[in-house]
Amino acid sequence: MTPEAIDSWTESVRATAQRLNKADDGLRGRREDALQRFQSNGFPGRKDEEWRYTPLKKLVNGPCHQLLPASTRIPVQADLPIEAAARVVLVNGEFQEPLSDFSSLPAGIKIGSLASLRKQDSGAIVDLLSSSFPLQDHPFQSLSDAMLDDGIWIEVSTECRDEVATIHILHAFDGSRGAGSAHVTGIIRCAAGTRLRVVEEVRSEGEVLGNIRWGVALAEDSSLDRVRVIRPGCDSVFHGTRVVQQGGSNFHDLMICAGSNLVRNEVNTIHSGPRCHVELLGVYAARGIEVVDNHTTIEHAVEDCTSREIYRGVLSQKGRGIFTGMIHVHPDAQRIDAKQSNDTILLSRDAEMNSRPRLEIYADDVKCTHGATVGELDEEALFYLRSRGIQLDEARRMLVRAFASEVLSGLDPEELREFIIAELEQCIPESGECAP
Amino acid sequence: MNRKKDEMLLDVQDLHVSVDGTEILRGLNLQVKAGEVHAIMGPNGSGKSTLANVLAGREEYQVDSGTVRYNGLDLLELSADERACEGIFMAFQYPVSIPGISTAYFLRSALNSIRRYRDESEVDPIDFLEMIRSKVELVGIDEKLLQRAVNDGFSGGEKKRNEILQMAVLDPKLAILDETDSGLDIDALRIVAEGVNSLRADDRAIVVVTHYQRLLDHIIPDHVHVLSGGRIVRSGDKTLAQELERDGYAGLGVDDARAGSRT
Ligand SMILES: Nc1ncnc2c1ncn2[C@@H]1O[C@H](COP(=O)(O)OP(=O)(O)O)[C@@H](O)[C@H]1O
Ligand SMILES: [Mg+2]
Repeated sequence: MTPEAIDSWTESVRATAQRLNKADDGLRGRREDALQRFQSNGFPGRKDEEWRYTPLKKLVNGPCHQLLPASTRIPVQADLPIEAAARVVLVNGEFQEPLSDFSSLPAGIKIGSLASLRKQDSGAIVDLLSSSFPLQDHPFQSLSDAMLDDGIWIEVSTECRDEVATIHILHAFDGSRGAGSAHVTGIIRCAAGTRLRVVEEVRSEGEVLGNIRWGVALAEDSSLDRVRVIRPGCDSVFHGTRVVQQGGSNFHDLMICAGSNLVRNEVNTIHSGPRCHVELLGVYAARGIEVVDNHTTIEHAVEDCTSREIYRGVLSQKGRGIFTGMIHVHPDAQRIDAKQSNDTILLSRDAEMNSRPRLEIYADDVKCTHGATVGELDEEALFYLRSRGIQLDEARRMLVRAFASEVLSGLDPEELREFIIAELEQCIPESGECAP
Repeated sequence: MNRKKDEMLLDVQDLHVSVDGTEILRGLNLQVKAGEVHAIMGPNGSGKSTLANVLAGREEYQVDSGTVRYNGLDLLELSADERACEGIFMAFQYPVSIPGISTAYFLRSALNSIRRYRDESEVDPIDFLEMIRSKVELVGIDEKLLQRAVNDGFSGGEKKRNEILQMAVLDPKLAILDETDSGLDIDALRIVAEGVNSLRADDRAIVVVTHYQRLLDHIIPDHVHVLSGGRIVRSGDKTLAQELERDGYAGLGVDDARAGSRT
């Protein structure tokens, strides 16, 4: 990464932060702290363990340091077949009220934009941010904080305990008028005993960095079921989530991504009360020179909690996958049951997978299993299918589909599951070997 | 062309096959006509599965020389899936499990592939369901098995019955059953044999590969061949199987001990 490149990012960030600070919205301290951190740390290089395999060079040296201009253009792609109680649309980081629809939203759920909250109640936004996102040295978090402008907050109150509403969130990044980046902050808070389902979708067009982060707070016995779909055709996406779970809460997360240049997905969940469960699932495909980097941390800070994690990838051509999965069982966090697996199918010799399970276990009464497999399609199974008349290409497709559907089997409705699998299949070339 | 040869459904001439440089079949000859049931018997490691797999098109086996004509075609020119579409079916000695693909979906995909190959329209899902129900009864398996992943967690007997179910659905011209009796208790053996018997037909040939004679009490063969050392060393009618049962392979001058460890 050239020093000039870092300078151009710093310049851009400073100019934006200064412009936003004029609003006097109580966030000046946060923006300046983040700017400082970004200025001194820049982007991580290969020596940083957490980013060792993530190729950021092209993004950093490229033109994305500019902010994307305001837009209402949504990249045209087939709509996900879902029925939602509300649809939230953000384009280039800005909440788009006219494109959103809250007409069937249950009374107990509130949704608002951070931009309007900033104007109305600067005390509230400062509190919300500091509880959701502790300040830290993290390149993309620093960008989000230094240029914090708009985003979305969702609050589920005890009023809607008996309902499970689905909220569809669409992040669109429009780079059709030139390269750039946009930074979005989202906050979800579920009150005790409530349940929420979120289907989040990322679409982008052109050379862009879509930088999205979520802070999630799950109160006692609440649950959040989240499906994230990073649609094919995105350039660079950073997607980070930090979850704090109170006792008895449940976080179920499914990440789907195929056909995008560079995706870094970070999920960090903290169990701070007993009987929490977290389920982190992911299915991804990378072809050409695409890279998918999944980085998860499960903090088992207290006793009697469970976690299950399965990430599965299909890599073809020169596609690359990275998986870093930390399971941290704190001292005295007894009777934890944690399972992790990361499985990869390599369809070509040039594809590459770096799988790094990290287990740090400081309690003794703990069940913790992990496994990583990397391999080609099962030759025996291929022959079995072919011996029944199924052609090679279809047999391969069936095995890839089978591999993915073991993770996707819980995804409802069936039309959505089929849609996702079909889109995934379109991002897997018939012959995994040939050049992009 | 020789008229008599034209009547053969399968005609294997002087077949030599090796795996990883080791010759396993050493000049094997076999002729099978439509409507016939042949049994191929032989000690462990004599090459029975090799023969079955070579006919099914498994690529690890190298054909060094010899010819295989099937239904007027040069069989060795065809890929495994083309052979299946041309009507060849092998019931595996060790059926493969495929997590994530339901048995019903697998069967329908296979049937549709074969139908497309023959320029027939794909089967209607409702018709398929009806058809498969009748076949499920034939082989006596639980219909719920259809919703489970292919052979995944199936018992030994369920796997073998699933092979016969596939045979019933795909309706082959030439079925090769590789040790379909192994691992079956006597009741399961009877049901599988009844299933196979019900599939006997004038336009279909069945080759039953087995180490033991007991399956042949239920599926009465027209011809019995003894395979040893990569060749057919004796052929006869069903009484040859009884002779083997009585005297063992040693009684035929076939040494069971030369057998390899793989069966
Ligand atoms: N894939 C293989 N690789 C190496 N050797 C093999 C393979 N398949 C079979 N063989 C060897 O070939 C011989 C015949 O095996 P097989 O055809 O399985 O015999 P059968 O089915 O009659 O018991 C054995 O010695 C076996 O070890
Ligand atoms: Mg065998």
